Amino acid sequence: MAEVALRGFGSRQRSRRLFAAGMVIVGGLGLLAAAAPWLTSYDPDVIVVAHYTGPLPPGDAHPLGTDTLGRDVWARLAYGARTSLFVGGLAMTLSLCIGVTVGLVGGYFGGAVDTALMWLVDLILTMPTLLLLIVLAAVLPPSLLTIPLVIGVVGWTTFARTVRGEVLSLRERDYLLAARALGASHGRIMFRHLLPGVLPGVVVLAALGMSGAIGIDAGLSYLGLGVPLPTPSWGRMVSEVQTYFGVAPWLVVLPGVAVSLAVIGFNLVGYGLIDLLGERRG
Amino acid sequence: MRAGLLAACVLLAACTVPLDPPPSGPPVRPDEVPRSGGTLRLGAAEDVHTLDPAIGYDTGSWAFEQMLFNTLVDYDEGTTIVPELAASWEVSPDGRHFTFTLRPDVRFSSGRALAAADVKYSLERLLRPALHSPGAEFFAGLAGVGDYVAGRAPEVSGITTPAPDRVEFTLAAVDPLFLHKLAMPFAAVVDREAVERVGDLGFRRQPVGSGAFVLAEWVEGQRMRLARNPLYFRSGLPYLDGIEVTVGLSDQLGWFKYQRGEIDISGVPSAEFARVVADARYQPLLLERTTLRTQYLGLNCAMPPFDQAAVRQALNMAIDKQRLLELIDGRGVVATTILPPDMPGYDAATPSYPLDPAAARARLEAAGLGQGFATTLWASRDEGSLRLAQSIQQDLRAIGVELALKPVDFPALIEAVRHPGMVPLFLLGWEADFPDPSNFLIVLLHSRSRGTNNNAFYANPDVDRLLDEAEPLLEPRRRLGLFHDAEALVMRDAPWVPLFHPVSFAVRHPRVRNYLLHPLRPSRVETVWLAE
Repeated sequence: MAEVALRGFGSRQRSRRLFAAGMVIVGGLGLLAAAAPWLTSYDPDVIVVAHYTGPLPPGDAHPLGTDTLGRDVWARLAYGARTSLFVGGLAMTLSLCIGVTVGLVGGYFGGAVDTALMWLVDLILTMPTLLLLIVLAAVLPPSLLTIPLVIGVVGWTTFARTVRGEVLSLRERDYLLAARALGASHGRIMFRHLLPGVLPGVVVLAALGMSGAIGIDAGLSYLGLGVPLPTPSWGRMVSEVQTYFGVAPWLVVLPGVAVSLAVIGFNLVGYGLIDLLGERRG
Repeated sequence: MRAGLLAACVLLAACTVPLDPPPSGPPVRPDEVPRSGGTLRLGAAEDVHTLDPAIGYDTGSWAFEQMLFNTLVDYDEGTTIVPELAASWEVSPDGRHFTFTLRPDVRFSSGRALAAADVKYSLERLLRPALHSPGAEFFAGLAGVGDYVAGRAPEVSGITTPAPDRVEFTLAAVDPLFLHKLAMPFAAVVDREAVERVGDLGFRRQPVGSGAFVLAEWVEGQRMRLARNPLYFRSGLPYLDGIEVTVGLSDQLGWFKYQRGEIDISGVPSAEFARVVADARYQPLLLERTTLRTQYLGLNCAMPPFDQAAVRQALNMAIDKQRLLELIDGRGVVATTILPPDMPGYDAATPSYPLDPAAARARLEAAGLGQGFATTLWASRDEGSLRLAQSIQQDLRAIGVELALKPVDFPALIEAVRHPGMVPLFLLGWEADFPDPSNFLIVLLHSRSRGTNNNAFYANPDVDRLLDEAEPLLEPRRRLGLFHDAEALVMRDAPWVPLFHPVSFAVRHPRVRNYLLHPLRPSRVETVWLAE
């Protein structure tokens, strides 16, 4: 995920509305993922047409039609939300854990430790992310965990940099001086006293990181490197049917819209949080 | 939300783009006669690999090699051998000596007359180890090749030229396929002077032969132009002034260019196929030809649990081939046997396995695998193969076999399947080089072909014995009978699940006449003409 300038939407009214919109989208997505089995009676992986004669248009039996294998598109779209949220969530969590730890340690200890860690961050940042992801995804054995691991392991640098910056500004504060004077251990200072201070920024990054991870997952899936077949994934759904754009445009448009909505939703939440948290702090 | 989505979708469905009409051109008239002139415009996804007939072993190279060069014999529109450079030939009663008399009127495009010595030179060049020709193996049965290859003899003793218009071949052992081998582009006659002037590497880009066309321009990665050879020995041919190939046209892009009237021949993309065959405007432009191909699911007999025939038979009974055929838009016929229907020796009554998942489960049960197992299917990365793979995945899940799919690039797949113990299941196809059962049964299923094309690592001494006995036989009845017996044994052992035999489809620009798809080779264009 790219470096983001942490600026919100500006006006308070607008930012609340957009944050709410983001929450609605993200909530809807979560609902879709959680309730998928109740929203459709079809198994997303199973060919349901008796005879394949091409993709079926939307109709009564299949609200969004069937795909280029004769599977129910609505079922694949709904279960695809699970894939997206799972991949995005796991990748983001992993990035978060690595990034926050690196940022805390680097910022708190400073000196050679900091230099070494930031050198590592720079190293990863200079690598072309997409190429690195493609190589890793191609080399590692395909499994549901591969892609989130790969995205997570590559994407933690933003977290590390942001957290380090915050820690640098916090570590000379009086309350930390007091904790140190009382003989608190490094670990205790970092995780009990510094972590709460950087948490608001981390929450924002988590939301933005989620949208980034979902976007990257869709891209990798589109390139054929995503979750193993036949697990439904929005990125793959687009690549599977792109040559059918003239014949069955809904097949291409729907998963594309789903990816966009997910990315926009988490982005709105993230930027909204910046304003809201900024208000409380400021 | 569902109602909203449905409404949005119906709206999207309404946006479906109607099928564009084909390009317009002159309809076929009953009284029309071939006319000379014009340029045939073709498209290719990738650049032509090589134009040196000793090197090329792919459809793209062969398509253009056969425009530039000639062989002693060739196929007619089907799989019957007809004369080309040879005016006539005789085969000795023992089947080991072939004497060809050349046409007197053949000249290379350089102007020099083509003589028997050129035929000998071309084949000896092919056999030279330094050239690393993939076609050398087909002519290893000529007498004296061993000494020549080892450097103990300056020439192949089995190729002699008693007169400038006569060439004789002596075989070390009887080879019923020798004429078919001479019809391969590998045996094309090249201009020795041109080869010696530009070198073997240069000849790949600057070929000189006796064919209907000569190479006019080749901008690598962009386009190739061929022009009529004014010295061509068949008078009045070719009808075309030239051929223009645009490189870099994917199937989809080629189709669009065809619809815009910018190229003359195109395949039909899967997405459009159903609409095209149902469209009266396209129907007269469709070209169709059954080919000698079999798509199959290979089961690695050297890897458990596929070392058990019962497991392999179970897979044969579990896969819904009719659905696979539907997934390729019905472009083919369901395969029940190894040999394709147009192959001599094909017998629809060869024992096969009807779809029966319950019986498949019973076989697994009997093999002690009633609880099922997990394995990996390797397939080419393209969308078409992955659709088939997912359909097979679903069928096998129904009998308790969990398939992980491994999509790989095609060259990597070809490489991987040659390693024993690496690929448990794979999706591949085979297209015959010759219209003879040996090209399937020996090349793909004889135990000596393990490590090359016997990727199922199948080995059965009884089958080997039948194949060895059939291989040198000239008498067709007995030969085909033995091959049939071998095929029946193979089917019983079930190292493959034969899936389907594809049928080739293409569309032509309305102005194109006499463009035919061939069951074994790329289309010949010397008799193609363009109407006005």
